[in-house]
Amino acid sequence: MTGIFLWTVGILAGLGFILALVLFLIAKKFKVEEDPRIDLVEKALPGANCGGCGFAGCHAFADAAVKAPNLDNNFCPVGGNDVMKKVAEILGYEVKQQTPKVAVLRCNGSCENRPRINEYDGVKSCRVKAALYAGDTLCPYGCLGCGDCVAACAFGALSLNPETGLPEVDESKCTACGACTKACPKGLIELRNKGPRSMRVYVCCSNKDKGMFTRKACKAGCIGCGKCAKVCPHGAITVENNLAYIDYTKCKLCKKCVAECPIGAIHAVNFPVLKPKTEEKKEASNE
Amino acid sequence: MENKIVSPNPHLHSRNSTASLMRDVIIALAPAMLLCVLCYGWSAIMLLALSAGFCVLIEWAIAKWMMRQPSIFCPSAAALTGLLLALNMPPTTPWWTVLIGSIVAIGVAKMSFGGMGQNVFNPAITGRVFLLVSFPQQLTTWDIPRGFISSIDAVSGPTLLMQAKLDGASTVANVDLLKTFILNPGGSMGELSGLALLIGFVYLLCRKVVKPWIPLSIFLTVILVSSIFHLCNPAVYTGPVFNLVAGGLILGACFMATDYVTSPMSDWGGVIFGVGLGFIVMMIRYFGSYPEGVSFAILIMNMTVPLIDRAFHRKKYGYGRA
Amino acid sequence: MSKHTFSIGGIHPQDAKFSRGCATEVLPLPPVVYVSMAQHLGAPAVPCVAPGDKVKVGTVIGEPAGFISAYVHSPVSGTVKTVAPRKDILGNNVMHVEITVEGDEWEETIDRTPDIITEIPTDRNAVLDKIKMAGVVGLGGATFPAHVKLNPAPGSKADCILINGSECEPYLTSDNRIMIERPSEIIIGAAIMQMVLGGCRCVIAIEDNKPEAIASMKAALADLGYKNMEIAVLKKKYPQGGEKQLIDAVLKRQVRSGALPISVGAVVQNVATALAVYEAVQKNKPLITNTMTITGDLLPVSGQHNYLFRIGMPLSFIAEQAGGVPEYAAKIVSGGPMMGKAVANLDASAVKGTASLLYLSKEATKRKEEGHCIRCAKCADSCPMGLEPFLINRLYKAGDLAGMEKASAQDCIECGCCQYSCPANIPLVDNLRMAKGQVMAEIKNRRNNGK
Repeated sequence: MTGIFLWTVGILAGLGFILALVLFLIAKKFKVEEDPRIDLVEKALPGANCGGCGFAGCHAFADAAVKAPNLDNNFCPVGGNDVMKKVAEILGYEVKQQTPKVAVLRCNGSCENRPRINEYDGVKSCRVKAALYAGDTLCPYGCLGCGDCVAACAFGALSLNPETGLPEVDESKCTACGACTKACPKGLIELRNKGPRSMRVYVCCSNKDKGMFTRKACKAGCIGCGKCAKVCPHGAITVENNLAYIDYTKCKLCKKCVAECPIGAIHAVNFPVLKPKTEEKKEASNE
Repeated sequence: MENKIVSPNPHLHSRNSTASLMRDVIIALAPAMLLCVLCYGWSAIMLLALSAGFCVLIEWAIAKWMMRQPSIFCPSAAALTGLLLALNMPPTTPWWTVLIGSIVAIGVAKMSFGGMGQNVFNPAITGRVFLLVSFPQQLTTWDIPRGFISSIDAVSGPTLLMQAKLDGASTVANVDLLKTFILNPGGSMGELSGLALLIGFVYLLCRKVVKPWIPLSIFLTVILVSSIFHLCNPAVYTGPVFNLVAGGLILGACFMATDYVTSPMSDWGGVIFGVGLGFIVMMIRYFGSYPEGVSFAILIMNMTVPLIDRAFHRKKYGYGRA
Repeated sequence: MSKHTFSIGGIHPQDAKFSRGCATEVLPLPPVVYVSMAQHLGAPAVPCVAPGDKVKVGTVIGEPAGFISAYVHSPVSGTVKTVAPRKDILGNNVMHVEITVEGDEWEETIDRTPDIITEIPTDRNAVLDKIKMAGVVGLGGATFPAHVKLNPAPGSKADCILINGSECEPYLTSDNRIMIERPSEIIIGAAIMQMVLGGCRCVIAIEDNKPEAIASMKAALADLGYKNMEIAVLKKKYPQGGEKQLIDAVLKRQVRSGALPISVGAVVQNVATALAVYEAVQKNKPLITNTMTITGDLLPVSGQHNYLFRIGMPLSFIAEQAGGVPEYAAKIVSGGPMMGKAVANLDASAVKGTASLLYLSKEATKRKEEGHCIRCAKCADSCPMGLEPFLINRLYKAGDLAGMEKASAQDCIECGCCQYSCPANIPLVDNLRMAKGQVMAEIKNRRNNGK
């Protein structure tokens, strides 16, 4: 009995030792030398692997940042200035301050504003739907409501509102990684400056049809009348292809355009309550 | 007027459904089940009903309360698993054994992998093998209960395969194989009549529910392997026809090995699967400690399916002939 | 003669050719037509008329905007009202020319007599030019400009032209009707294309579910007595009318992945295209008319029609002429039920390739809830390209581009067989189309980078 016992223990122990040795030798032989700073930078990053920086993930970004001569082309939109400051410290580089951004949906074609004219019966995917046809409303530019952006968001910042049929951005969670802007086949989501205390003014529409057709399709669509452009004292608004666009770098948040827009397509969000009229707008956009 | 539907092509559907396919298999099992009921009477009815009922109930409960995905529940598929499980047990199996078998088949082998279409092992076979190794006594008591037709002069005793294993191949040399094929009381319920099972299988082939390659390759391999051994030493190794009709080979090959989920998806993959299965069956029957090896063979070959699927693909258009 | 069919996959949906016995009727003219500039594959035509211009039937109103593009002619006589974007059947904005109909005055060059001109011209380039000027496009579904296909690149030579009369889609009967009613013209059109391709063999392929068409075509061919031309009867199976499948069925050759049919010496044209070629070459009539079927799964026989329509007619007008959209219709399909497009906008106008208005009931067409794959392999068994749709679907969902290419997602012809036969109602075609697009883009990208 003892003999069997000893044999068993001996063989297993020997086997364990030999295998450990093999593992050790392999680890030694195939060891990859890596710049230790890559690991440090990666640890400083948020680690979401969202790809918002343009690299495959945080490790790829860290690798590129270490190898690059400066940080001009490498910016982590998720971590923002704080994280980049840390990265710059590790690498001894200067970092350019970037204004924080946030994803903004430029469509207000809710079920109420934009009547459905047919019933889509395919895969619930904006990509598939956009490849098939113009969409289930008369507006060929608007949100398709299948939630590809929601699926693309790694931070849970987007959700489809079942009442409006539109995705909503949770500003506290949005990191402006830009995944949703790429996922939207209609290109409706734009990264805009977050603005002081998150106050922003933007045209909540992307319809380039003539005003007549836009009106027919959607109650909240920009008809390209150009009133906003005329009233803007800062020259921030341009109207092209029947669609107004507010340049967020020029906009001074005076909100003159908001009052002027006959459709209510220009949204001002997160402004403190001043006049009852603005409050209405704010509520509309927050819904 | 209601809004018109818009969708990508195609705009028609064959109206095949998972449920309708499963229903077809159940219909194909009907002749065999009918014979069981005639020969084994109330015990067969009880066993079939209990097993199918337990399986449906367990799948429903797991889908609803554990997985919280009620849509995953497919009653016809669960019932089919239950019926196959019942056909894999002797007619005298007690109800609690059936319950345990159903729990293992549905709960462990099917739902724990994610339910319909996700399981690696055939649920009914897993249930049977679990029972066979855990409760060998209940699973190998071959009493024949009173049936509705009394003219069957059957006696309880070991199955033919067991007899061959225990007493040697020569003791079964004079068995009337045609009678065994048509009606052979004793053993599991599904071993009663190979003929009834084959009739059902022909129905499946006509309805294009399954393709014949897997069973065919199993049968051919069994014939080939047993012929070689039998010719070498007929006193020790049983013959090819005996191996075809005795035991659960026909049930296993036609209804268990052809299960969609746990068999390869390409025709040639199916052939490889069948050849391997037939070979393992014969190895277990000749050299294993169990008299019957179909269930174990199916489980072993189930494991190879992902590999076979990886290796065998269909012939694509425009890659072969110029 | 033994009946052939293609070798891989295929399905047998219900035939449903309810309107096969309805003789072709000529539709009256609507008060106004909207002629789309994008009626063909390739670059949309450029409008060459302005509001206020007077046009006659056959006047050029759109000029090709590239190598793969086609002329567009006015289908009516009248005054151009607007040249502006308008929504097509899918709701997308496409440039349209709106023409108010005044009378029915045709260009003088068009021969409107009913005489059949059997003499086949011999000047290849002149004929090709005529086909191009007449704006003839393939009417089998893809609307590829005919003159491009009939003029293969130097170095490749056609040894057989296949005239596709298989009409394998359920419900459609317009090809069947023209084969019954105008067989000689189709055969002369085929002979013209045969001449253009250098006198190669010509096979007219018809499925065996159209005995009247086969008989009529055979009789006409015997009358005309053309050499080197035959009629092949094919066993009914969908998608027989697919270019690659037809070549496999008739010639027993397979076009390599990514290659054109001409690489195996074959050119495929539809019977309706043959008719259009005949009219363009022998009668100087541009492609402004085509035949379409009005049918549906629950439509009574009185509502079934085959119409000779002019391009630019609003679909709603055509539907009105046929008695209006039936109450039961949950989906309107333009084209066959397997590969046609669902109509999102019935106010859109008919185009050269419009093959039908098909009214499907909710029971027939509404998709069922998607289930789990049970690995039954019915999708792979039915795929006429020998692909494994279940696998490509899985790889697409996982985003595995290299895997999709290895599984040949780029070879998918979107015929719909896999989704048709899937018992779990998995939307395979929807995803496969996306997978195909991604792989095609990747291949193109690689080719561009390689240069």
